[in-house]
Amino acid sequence: MNSPAKSAITKPPKSKAPPVTYLLATVALLSLLFAFPQIVDSPYTLHMMILIFLSIILGESWNILGGYTGQYSVGHAAYFGTGAYTTMMLMQYAQVPPWLGVWVGVAVAIIVALAIGSICFRLRGPYFVLASIAAAEIIRLTALNVKSFTNGAEGILATDIPPLKLGAILITDFSSKLPFYYTGLILVLLTILMTWLVQHSKLGYCLQAIREDQDAAHSLGINLTLHKNIALIISAAFTSTAGSFYAVYIGFIDPTSVLSLDMSVQIVLICIIGGIGTIFGPVAGAIILVPLSEALRSNMIAQGLFKAGLVGEESSIGIFLKDNLAHSHVLIYGILVVVVILFMPEGVLGFISKFVHGKTRRGVS
Amino acid sequence: MTVFLQSLISGILIGGVYALIGIGLTMIFGVMRVINFAHGDIMMVGMYLTYNLFTLCGIDPFASVVICIPVMFLFGGFLQKIFINRVLNALPQNQILLTIGLGLIMSNTIMLIYTSDYKILTTSYSSGSFRIAGISISEPLAISFLITVIITAALYWFLMKTDMGQAIRATAQDREAAQLMGINVKRMSVIAFGLGTALAGTAGALITPTYYIFPQIGSTFTLKAFVITVLGGMGSVIGATLGGVIIGIAESMGAVYISSGWKEVLVYVIFLLVLLFKPSGLMGKSRM
Repeated sequence: MNSPAKSAITKPPKSKAPPVTYLLATVALLSLLFAFPQIVDSPYTLHMMILIFLSIILGESWNILGGYTGQYSVGHAAYFGTGAYTTMMLMQYAQVPPWLGVWVGVAVAIIVALAIGSICFRLRGPYFVLASIAAAEIIRLTALNVKSFTNGAEGILATDIPPLKLGAILITDFSSKLPFYYTGLILVLLTILMTWLVQHSKLGYCLQAIREDQDAAHSLGINLTLHKNIALIISAAFTSTAGSFYAVYIGFIDPTSVLSLDMSVQIVLICIIGGIGTIFGPVAGAIILVPLSEALRSNMIAQGLFKAGLVGEESSIGIFLKDNLAHSHVLIYGILVVVVILFMPEGVLGFISKFVHGKTRRGVS
Repeated sequence: MTVFLQSLISGILIGGVYALIGIGLTMIFGVMRVINFAHGDIMMVGMYLTYNLFTLCGIDPFASVVICIPVMFLFGGFLQKIFINRVLNALPQNQILLTIGLGLIMSNTIMLIYTSDYKILTTSYSSGSFRIAGISISEPLAISFLITVIITAALYWFLMKTDMGQAIRATAQDREAAQLMGINVKRMSVIAFGLGTALAGTAGALITPTYYIFPQIGSTFTLKAFVITVLGGMGSVIGATLGGVIIGIAESMGAVYISSGWKEVLVYVIFLLVLLFKPSGLMGKSRM
């Protein structure tokens, strides 16, 4: 969130005594990412990068609960929406700047998460999935119906974001995409660091034990409810942060955009498509999904077909594609998830690593 | 009192259609242990099929049920053979995600063809109603309820009395034992999925005169179908019928006595309470 975090982050999270080449590659990648806006100044490219960052944060945070702990929540829109609404309402109605509002959002999301967890964690397998959906739907319908509080279906539009000042020095006034780019990048690095820390801690081993076999984990003395709730809190806190980031960046939220079942499903799909229960799975998922879905949304695929001469622009099919393809950009999510589930159940990343390492199957997580 | 009876009657009438959706979901779960997250989207496909039959061929939505049932049955059989069959032994999570993906493909393909505009199918009786003992009853709802009763009765007869129905029930009870008894469980799975799809499609056809038709309508009904089947007990056909009617009544009562915006919240609260206190449902054997 603030710039002091930057210096702490430059230590690559992957460097557990790796060969020097690894270290150099990570440093090079990081400096490239930090210098990226200086090299490329097309706002659209920056916008795409910011969306990819957002997806990575969401995927990584879901991964803690879904990937490492095996609790497939399909209700993460609840935490995303809570963060978005809290930050946005504080900013619009109480003039609380978003970099303070985000913490309130995290706190509210944790409370919501504990309430939902106390109900859902009593259930297992498909019943847990259904309960998590129902809980998120209750929150969406509440936001839709408490019109005096949340403005209902009309949503909330951000009028202006207060400038961020440190003492008397103006750091940024959020007028360009740059501050959002760096905030997103830092949040991504923080989430990846968090995932790495969880994965290599005792907590991570407990979570993975729960994922592999709840009853066996329980008989080994792992407190199931406690550990599931810890995973949920971490996951909800980061999801809520992503929600706040989204709300401030887009500048408009309504129950359909931030609290809907579609949102929850998209969060899950980032992980599933990339590879579940791995650090870089969600990264791969975001890098695959966001550009594809944006290409559909902005009609690039239809244009590409015209340019390649596959479909005539004036032909009836061409006109049809140009008019309609943009509306159905979620189609790509559907097709990808079906392909991934049927042919590469370990996700794209798992599939690639299996391909590279031949038939020798190595533990990814 | 009139208001109470009025909302009770309309609740039961709409509950009939809900029961149809619920029975389809519960049959699929019973035979394959797969929770079909595309169920509402399948219903949506049925709605568009009916809409097309009406606008292109002028076939009445209630008469189109006769076409809808076989077409949707084949569609369901196709889905089962090509997709669902491959994940029967996979993790339940993967099954859920596969059906979510199939649902996304269906709703977005329909959106690609018909755009996301709301469509209305207006028939001569769409807003008609008649009165019995001071209670007004919507004509399309009454007809659809009647058709629902006939279909449900036929389904019971099929499941209880025919050889194939018994084979399906046996597969649902114990897949391996059924296989040992010489039942072709793979074929039963295809038939059960086809039947479930046909029921959902029929429910879609029946609600077209009274509901808006749009590509995203599915997810609401998928969730409703879950509530109904969990309430009745996963895998129990009688439970799903009962659950459908209960949810129908709860919605219509909620709309009258609380507010129409909150009626769905009521449905989900009931759902969570059932999951917490009686997860096996009203009619289900404990199968958690």
